[in-house]
Amino acid sequence: MDALRPSSHCRRSHARGSTRVDLLLLVAALALPVVDWLSGGLGLIDPMKAIFIYAILGLGLNIVTGFTGLLHLGVAAFMAIGVYSFAILTADIYPFQLGFWPALLLTIPIGAFAGFLLGGPTLGLRGDYLAIVTLGFGEIVQDVLRNLETITKGTQGINPLPPPTLPLPTAWGGTNGWYEFQADTPQPWYYLFLLFLVLVVVANRNLERSRIGRAWMSVREDDLASKSMGIPPVKTKLVAFATAAAIAAFAGGLWASSLSSTGEPSNYDFQVSILALCIVIVGGMGNISGVLVGAMVMIGVNDIVLQKIFSWMAKQELTSTGSVFGSPNNWKFLLFGLALVLMMRFKPDGLIPARKPRETGSARSATVRPKGEAS
Amino acid sequence: MELDVQYLLQQLVNGLSNGMISALIAIGYTMVYGIIELINWAHGDLCMLGAFFALTLIGALGIGAWSGPMAAFGVVILLLATAGFCGSLNLIVDRFAYRPLRRAPKLTLLVTAIGVSFIFVNLGLFWGGLPMTVFGEGNAAAAPKNFPAIVPATPILGGEPGQVTLTVRDLMIAGVTMPLMVGLWWLVRHTKLGKAMRAVAQNPTAASLMGINTDRVIGATFFIGGALGGFGSVIYAINNGTIGFQLGYRAGMDAFTAAVLGGIGSLPGAVLGGLLIGVARSLSDGYLEARWTPTLVFTILILILVFRPSGLLGLKSKEKV
Amino acid sequence: MRLKHLALATASLASLASLAVVSLGAAPLPSLQEGKVIKIVSSLPRTGSANAQTTTMVNGIRMAIDEVGGKVDGFDIAYEDWDDASPQKGNWDPQVEAQNANKAVKDQSIVGYIGTFNSGASKISMPVLNKEGLVMVSPANTYPGLTKPGTGEKNEPKVYRPSGKINYFRVVPTDDLQGSVAAEWAKELGAKKVFILHDRELYGKGIADVFQKHGKEIGLEVVGYEGIDSKAANYKSLVTKIASTGAELVYFGGTTQNNAGQIAKDLRAGGVQAPFMVPDGCFETAFIEASGAENLNGKTYITFGGLPADKLTGKGAEFREAYIKKYGTEPEAYAVYGYEAARVLLDAIDRAEKKDRESIRAAVAATKSFVGALGTWSFDENGDTTNRVMSGQTVKDGKFEFVKVLGGSN
Repeated sequence: MDALRPSSHCRRSHARGSTRVDLLLLVAALALPVVDWLSGGLGLIDPMKAIFIYAILGLGLNIVTGFTGLLHLGVAAFMAIGVYSFAILTADIYPFQLGFWPALLLTIPIGAFAGFLLGGPTLGLRGDYLAIVTLGFGEIVQDVLRNLETITKGTQGINPLPPPTLPLPTAWGGTNGWYEFQADTPQPWYYLFLLFLVLVVVANRNLERSRIGRAWMSVREDDLASKSMGIPPVKTKLVAFATAAAIAAFAGGLWASSLSSTGEPSNYDFQVSILALCIVIVGGMGNISGVLVGAMVMIGVNDIVLQKIFSWMAKQELTSTGSVFGSPNNWKFLLFGLALVLMMRFKPDGLIPARKPRETGSARSATVRPKGEAS
Repeated sequence: MELDVQYLLQQLVNGLSNGMISALIAIGYTMVYGIIELINWAHGDLCMLGAFFALTLIGALGIGAWSGPMAAFGVVILLLATAGFCGSLNLIVDRFAYRPLRRAPKLTLLVTAIGVSFIFVNLGLFWGGLPMTVFGEGNAAAAPKNFPAIVPATPILGGEPGQVTLTVRDLMIAGVTMPLMVGLWWLVRHTKLGKAMRAVAQNPTAASLMGINTDRVIGATFFIGGALGGFGSVIYAINNGTIGFQLGYRAGMDAFTAAVLGGIGSLPGAVLGGLLIGVARSLSDGYLEARWTPTLVFTILILILVFRPSGLLGLKSKEKV
Repeated sequence: MRLKHLALATASLASLASLAVVSLGAAPLPSLQEGKVIKIVSSLPRTGSANAQTTTMVNGIRMAIDEVGGKVDGFDIAYEDWDDASPQKGNWDPQVEAQNANKAVKDQSIVGYIGTFNSGASKISMPVLNKEGLVMVSPANTYPGLTKPGTGEKNEPKVYRPSGKINYFRVVPTDDLQGSVAAEWAKELGAKKVFILHDRELYGKGIADVFQKHGKEIGLEVVGYEGIDSKAANYKSLVTKIASTGAELVYFGGTTQNNAGQIAKDLRAGGVQAPFMVPDGCFETAFIEASGAENLNGKTYITFGGLPADKLTGKGAEFREAYIKKYGTEPEAYAVYGYEAARVLLDAIDRAEKKDRESIRAAVAATKSFVGALGTWSFDENGDTTNRVMSGQTVKDGKFEFVKVLGGSN
């Protein structure tokens, strides 16, 4: 959106502002385990991993939905592709048996390729038609993973999967010069996930300002005008789509390793795609810092804040199992839904809105598709 | 060979009767989309609540025990009351959730709809936990609920093994769906409200400048779309006989797929899409493996969209509703 | 500018990471002898579709703890009911289960982990708990590969036991037993041609596969085998297909939640009068409610790994009475497993000399001739129950009715 912003002064101050938000978040994230440790273990570190994964997923989706303005309802499918390719490349029941690092790196081109395959023939479609194609693709991937048992083990899941390893001198506690991550010591995972998140953020910031990033945003604002300016819309969208798919697959590989299992195919269903989409929109579409805040709020409230409140309620014996209303778990959907509705009502542009170029045409529906666009 | 033709015809009957229900729900999507370009994510879950409302009504009035002409009367009561319930609920949601967002970006509206859908699902779970006989005294809120067979699955044609069988239920589905579709088409084409709806769909600013109360027209669209969903939910529940708080997701997804396949925004398109998907499912279950049916349906959808990017009956111009 | 930030970030990251790694070893472990409270947790899907069954299990667990007055051997027992489902899934969520497992091993006052409901979830938490020697008793997992060598993948079950010790036990018989007795019962009922359906889940498909394999061995003709779409509105087309094969019995491997009731209904509405057989995932009153009793009466057969509550004797009969008194309803089939899992754990805590994880784990493993609600049984060398009594039920007048004991001798 930088290219379209009215003045260069405005752009710079905005960019600096959001970098500041990023840095603030980074400092907080770096300090959290120390705080957690000093305060005797609040149990905050482990759930944070999910926030990081969803933030990475959201950042991928933000490229398609935020920057390029395409509604994507199947990002979980690409995550699943990453999960299963990581598993097949590493697990000891398959012939490849690669280590953590090469397999994780390979999820990136595999994801991009899958995105390319789906996007190639379908990205010429108008906004909402593309949305259902991505939704359908999500269902197809889930069913294929479930049905092709000989390859994917169906609903059994593939396990165990290798954890990350880092070179660490034996004198510092390494085994044969290597440190292997353990499931029950969350701090190393935490910092590794954070490092990957930082890398993805930096990559996204650079993409946002690059030539292709500006092309994405110009396609979002006006397909036809970009075409006449020499930006091929379908090709531009395809790059966005494949990049998002690659990031989602990468998040999947990381996730699979931290669970040491693929789980079931239904773990990567439509609900995950919707959650990622909500993160992007609640955070502030097209805004990288917004996605980070969105992930923190959406996942953090659900996994950490509500958990704490519910276990407190259970201790005070405020819960009962006799009726459906007595258990706070049964209220989660309602709270989640209400939060979304209220958030959109009072902060319709998200928690940290992206700056938008001034509207010239109809006031509404400019974000995904200008009203008057021919198809 | 004789048997094979019968088998094929039977599968077509199965597919068409399921397809018609999808079509009815699909219209609710397509109408709302046509007028405010919102994929009304909560529509499937609205239908789920409609089914719970209908079951509550059955429990309260004892409709389950009625038979003969009284049963037919009971079905009419259920249809009208549930349509009123769903229509009003949709209208209320529009008033408080969507209307304040008319000028917000489209995706903001979509997230609101997703939020409403979560709320509906939770309300459905609570509803199933009410201490009523029809809900198993509320002991297992999440479990699927039995919906009494008010309209029996008595064959009116065939009925012997190997014969093509058409039941009273199939007839009911057609008898409810077809008049509603014709009526809706007439309403959109030939009434003042219909004209206003088309005008708002074309250009809301211009329409309001011409003296059309856009909020009222949009509200009316939500009401009619919701009411059709209400009709759909009653025939869905009677036809299948089981309802659960999670049925909205699949019912909604099928209907949404149907709407897009036909060309979203187009009424005849939604009907055609619904019927096609119903038949495709049925043939896939009948001749291929059932576990591949969802994959097949979505593959067909993607292929059709690749070759006809606006759906089967979607128009390239701005003609909508 | 940006590069500088990155460098700064990386540097601070690296230093903090090393701090964290070093600090791990130094963290003090509280000793259980200091406090008088020890904790048991359960990790079951409490949000969404499995809620009905898990509520009865949690009721059972609470009853077992109340029975001993919340005290064992001078220690207060604290119980926490953890959820391994998430609202966005409406079902168990691997990430939540992993978090629960990590949280449990961290809290040194936790000495027992009752769970999980879904076998897939146990695959994730088992290795985590195993490394720390935290004992796990499942009231519901039936996937054989979790404990029995040679029944699942070739690396199972040793992948779940990185420490080499067995910390996972279950009080339910596994699918390989139930699927086989079901096939034998089907043959006994006079069926020659069977049509097999499953819900494409770990449990449902697993048991359907065993049914198919064993059925073929004992001479049943499998005329169809289909995985259903468990979210479909109805199965009319599938029923038309079943009718055309002339099947004499329809078997469904799956649960009430995955539409067993809808299948029963569509079979009868589609004119298929062949008997319908289902496993214990449907042995709950919700199945009868969802199907409509008229569609089940007299032609439905349900297998169950154990005896129904009203056939239990001794401790089991006492349990049923107390349950009805406390909760006002007949206990569902799974309630007694929650109760039994908690009881066997409390018994082991009582027997353990020291109340630490390893002693309690060893005490659970040493459980022999335990007089429980399910009869008198032991844990075998894999951690499985030696209780292999299966029962067959039918539905009569809208109620489950015990028919006979199945298997048992194998």
